[in-house]
Amino acid sequence: MTNVDIVIEICGSAGEGTISAGEILSRFMSSQGFEIMSFDSYPSEIRGFGKCVAHSRISNRKILSPGKYADILIALKDAHSISQLPSLRETGIVIYDNKPPNYLEEDKSIAGWIEPGMISYGVPLLELAQKAAGNSRGRNMVAIGALAALFQIDDEAMKASIRSRYAKKKQIVIDSNLNSFQEGFEWSKKNITKIDPYTFRNVRLKKSNKSRAIINGNQAVAQAALDSGLHLYAGYPITPATKIMEILSKELPKKGGIMIQTEDEIAAIGNVVGAGFAGKRAMTATSGPGFSLMTELANLAVMAEVPAVIINSQRGGPSTGVPTKTEQSDLNIALSGGSGDSPRIVIAPTTVEECYLGVSLALYLAEKYQTLVVVLLDFFLSNSIRNIPMPEPINKKWLKGNIAPTKTELKDYKRFKNTESGISPRAIPGTPGGMFVTTGLEHSEQGKPQYDRETHHQMTRKRFRKIQNAINEAPKPQWRGPKKDISVGVIAWGSTAGSAQEAVIKAQKEGIKAALMSSMLISPLPADSFRKFSKACQKILVPELNYSGQFANYLAPYLNRPIERLNMVTGLPMSAEDILDKIREMAN
Amino acid sequence: MPKNDHYVIIGNGPAGNKAADRLRDRDKEARVTIISDEAFSFYYRYKLPDFIAGRISEDALKVRPYTIYKEKNIRLRLGQRVERIDPDEKVLYLKHMKKVGYTKLILATGGSPRVPPSFIRFMEYFTFMTNYNDAVRIRPELQKAKDIIVIGGDLISLRFIKMLTGMKKNIYFILTRNCFWPIELTSRMAGKISSSLEKKGIKALVDTPIAAITRQKNKLLLETGDGQKIRADMICSFLGLKPNIDFIVGSGIDTEKGILVNEYLQTNYADIYACGECAQIYNPKLKDYWISIGSENAALQGETAALSLLGAHKVIKPVPKNLLNVGGVSVNTSWWKQF
Amino acid sequence: MEVLKYSYLDEKIDEVKEQGFLNYRTSELPTWCPGCGYFGITHAMVQACDALGLKNEEICVASGIGCAGRYPIFMKAYGFHTVHGRSIPIASGIKLARQDLTVFAVGGDGDILGIGGGHLPHIARKNIDITLFLFDNSIYGLTKGQTSPTTPLSQVTNSHSQGNPDTPLRPVFLALAHGASFVARCYAGDVEGMKNIFTQAISHKGFSFLHIVSPCVTFDKVNITWKRLRENFRAVPSVHDPSDYRAAIQMAEDPRPIFGLFYHDPSRQSYQENLRGKRSPENSKSSER
Repeated sequence: MTNVDIVIEICGSAGEGTISAGEILSRFMSSQGFEIMSFDSYPSEIRGFGKCVAHSRISNRKILSPGKYADILIALKDAHSISQLPSLRETGIVIYDNKPPNYLEEDKSIAGWIEPGMISYGVPLLELAQKAAGNSRGRNMVAIGALAALFQIDDEAMKASIRSRYAKKKQIVIDSNLNSFQEGFEWSKKNITKIDPYTFRNVRLKKSNKSRAIINGNQAVAQAALDSGLHLYAGYPITPATKIMEILSKELPKKGGIMIQTEDEIAAIGNVVGAGFAGKRAMTATSGPGFSLMTELANLAVMAEVPAVIINSQRGGPSTGVPTKTEQSDLNIALSGGSGDSPRIVIAPTTVEECYLGVSLALYLAEKYQTLVVVLLDFFLSNSIRNIPMPEPINKKWLKGNIAPTKTELKDYKRFKNTESGISPRAIPGTPGGMFVTTGLEHSEQGKPQYDRETHHQMTRKRFRKIQNAINEAPKPQWRGPKKDISVGVIAWGSTAGSAQEAVIKAQKEGIKAALMSSMLISPLPADSFRKFSKACQKILVPELNYSGQFANYLAPYLNRPIERLNMVTGLPMSAEDILDKIREMAN
Repeated sequence: MPKNDHYVIIGNGPAGNKAADRLRDRDKEARVTIISDEAFSFYYRYKLPDFIAGRISEDALKVRPYTIYKEKNIRLRLGQRVERIDPDEKVLYLKHMKKVGYTKLILATGGSPRVPPSFIRFMEYFTFMTNYNDAVRIRPELQKAKDIIVIGGDLISLRFIKMLTGMKKNIYFILTRNCFWPIELTSRMAGKISSSLEKKGIKALVDTPIAAITRQKNKLLLETGDGQKIRADMICSFLGLKPNIDFIVGSGIDTEKGILVNEYLQTNYADIYACGECAQIYNPKLKDYWISIGSENAALQGETAALSLLGAHKVIKPVPKNLLNVGGVSVNTSWWKQF
Repeated sequence: MEVLKYSYLDEKIDEVKEQGFLNYRTSELPTWCPGCGYFGITHAMVQACDALGLKNEEICVASGIGCAGRYPIFMKAYGFHTVHGRSIPIASGIKLARQDLTVFAVGGDGDILGIGGGHLPHIARKNIDITLFLFDNSIYGLTKGQTSPTTPLSQVTNSHSQGNPDTPLRPVFLALAHGASFVARCYAGDVEGMKNIFTQAISHKGFSFLHIVSPCVTFDKVNITWKRLRENFRAVPSVHDPSDYRAAIQMAEDPRPIFGLFYHDPSRQSYQENLRGKRSPENSKSSER
């Protein structure tokens, strides 16, 4: 029995079945009991529009990050795959089409770019696909067949997996996919002498993965929204959040909800705030540019104390930035975007599981605390596919958050009563006797515009005070590793936390006393937990995918000590290796 | 890819590697590429029997780590077969439909199993073991086999037999004197070899012609000219090597048994050189062509070809003295004319 | 004489109380200038609510920023005084959440046509069932007299001392062009006329666009004045068929102030009806255009 931890990348053009091949592979591996983390990307800067890469990390042990380098690259299209070679391990493997219809110039062929140390296996993908199905469409399945032959994957089980993937299609589609797979499998078995050490045979596996869902961050967000009683989703298409809208457009009406595609992000958040005012759960999902447009109305939600949830799947910025790359640079705007002192709740899930948890929590907190809740995802988390245990049913308590006024309270109803907790009972339109007006102007307890200094001071304090209790409702911050004498304490947030955890575990194996602190709740910050962690650490490292160290800057006044930073804006998820290097450097 | 000089070497053996190293040492700017249809990196061929016996690992076969190529900036195209050369256009056509242009070319394609005419009709029953791929394929088969016939031979066949005796197999050795490669054995030598083998429990048949080979169930049945019948699981053929020149024939490059080169290892095209076991080298003193064996010769020729290519006009000399131990008989040879 | 006067006022107060529409007003005094046309609009709006028998708690009013934006503060209903230009999306959100509520969007010319102008085409084509009250006084009043999107060309304002260089928008024409299913223009001086049209607009199942022309007595002494409006007032001809889109367009192109119901397509499905799946182009007249 051995352990397996292999990263496979399939690279080709959109429309060549690149992504679906990756999907089949991931699903199959999941069904076999492997843990998977997959990530499809569509780099937009590539010459020859349409490059896409299906990246899958497959292991029989827990996967915490996508893995920096691929072990196996399947090149469905040479031109695209050449630019993918730098992310292949030094001793990685390339499977390529060794019988294209025409001669390629040497720099156009991936075989000419393979580095010493890499192993290449040529398979006549096109020829076999044509043999199997009479057309070129099955090249992806031929490649998967070759993969199965080369790395000792159970071909019969894999065929069953292909069959179920295309179960709803016509028989001819199923057959041609299966035949293509078979051709690739047999040809490779017969013609290729394996000279690499990778294998999926004799791996110690979990018993069953049947209770596992294969979902990405965006799907988890949508599922959480559906399970949490979302009534209205308003949105404007923007990468990488669009998928959430697409899913909800299909699923929300089945639950009696509405998905509306608006003319812009301003209208989207306007609809959300309107629906929140009217007493229904509503949210929108966007990315940095859309979020920028939304800040004014998001601020209104804070001021007028109306529930509103915004999912911001971050991409590279500023401005239109790098739409298909991942980054964590919208923390500042999420924490304080808009005018004035504008407290709000910010949640940053660190995993796909937490995307589900985070969104249901967000909808609850927004309703209960009558304010804006921002959920920060990023391009990677949105598109990162995991086979996770089926989400737990939503905490029932979270399904109903609004605190309605009592009959007595309605007699002399003060919508913005300055209570001890800061939360004022909220009447929903339709409630007789609860009529009030709310406004973006500073206002009295009754909601009437009122600007005197005492009112503005007291009401500002109330708005800050009321969200503090969210700390006690959100999941506790995670402290992993030793509890004292920590030489390097890593504080990570969002999707970087997974890589940080992997790095910390590796560092511990090297004898470094490292530990990790991460919290899904970013604002209000569970500051006590962070301070406690900080006190147990000699040095603190904050790795994050932005240039200015936004989270480190946010933490600094709470921790009141020097913070080491690791900032990368390469557009790629931060790898465990990158963080480990920094930990080693700091430990010395 | 920088677009200046491109030196391409076909072959990833001792000749090709030495040539690549020397080219890189002398020319830091040019692109240097090694192309080989073998996917496995540069390895010691003579260690293959030990590898098959499971005595050494894959890594021990490797002559040097891949990082050397990175350091030297030598590109490796492994597992890629050249199908055709166009010496006028200076383009190589690869089997996987790629074109590679070169400014200078060194052919170091080595050899592949030789089958003398008298054995050709039995070829389908033979197992050859000349490269890494063969070794990997034979390995599990050999573990199972009990009775093995070795048709000899050549130097590597003797190593192979040594390996088999260690594995406790029944071995029959059929030695045909005029098929021994690369030298023709005298009867005295053959006798000495056979008696030394017999001492190790190997049944040696000297100069016994093969009448027929047939497949019977899971076994192969070999009948000799003198009526002996031998049953075996495998028949391994070690009848030496012939130069790999199939893809060169017809390209315009002069060939005979090997690639014909002058004493500078230059072919009839000024920018194409050949070295190692694939080359038939002109010796002005002999006024005839000769062919070499052994990795030392190959490496030396690789170096010479590289230097000539760069304009040094170095004349090749065979490695002066090379004692080969053939089953206890020392044979002093390093080059020969006939084969 | 004086006694008589007082008793007349008492009688009037009783009469108004009996009419019931005061129930739709809060005790808050409007902040508008004395003589402002918005008083009349407010009056007509509460009368329309009363006429339709709407329950206070089932009315939601979303407004933007500006003099008109203050409207919800003076109406006894669920009011949302939002930000500049966004009353339409907020009102849409309310309606999408709560089909049972009657939803008004209120805004001035700067609010609806200027900063929030981008929402108008989309609410018109989506046909979400809200009623938009565009209080158009052709000036920015709350910021003290700057040019608005409907200020006439060459009018001198506090932002254009040499005269407005911009050609004004034509709100009714725009609404028709965007495909609104109910389009009317009202005169703030005609409470009875407004009440009549407002009642129809609120009852219309779909988006209603009400262009309400009102003078700003403080910052426009020249153009849109009570005097000039009274003199130029023209009613929509009684022969006009509100289902005739081309005739409506033609009238909308007329530069003179014509008041009344321009266009009404009662057969056009609302956004939520379309969502419910009864989507077929034949159901809608407007799509034939």
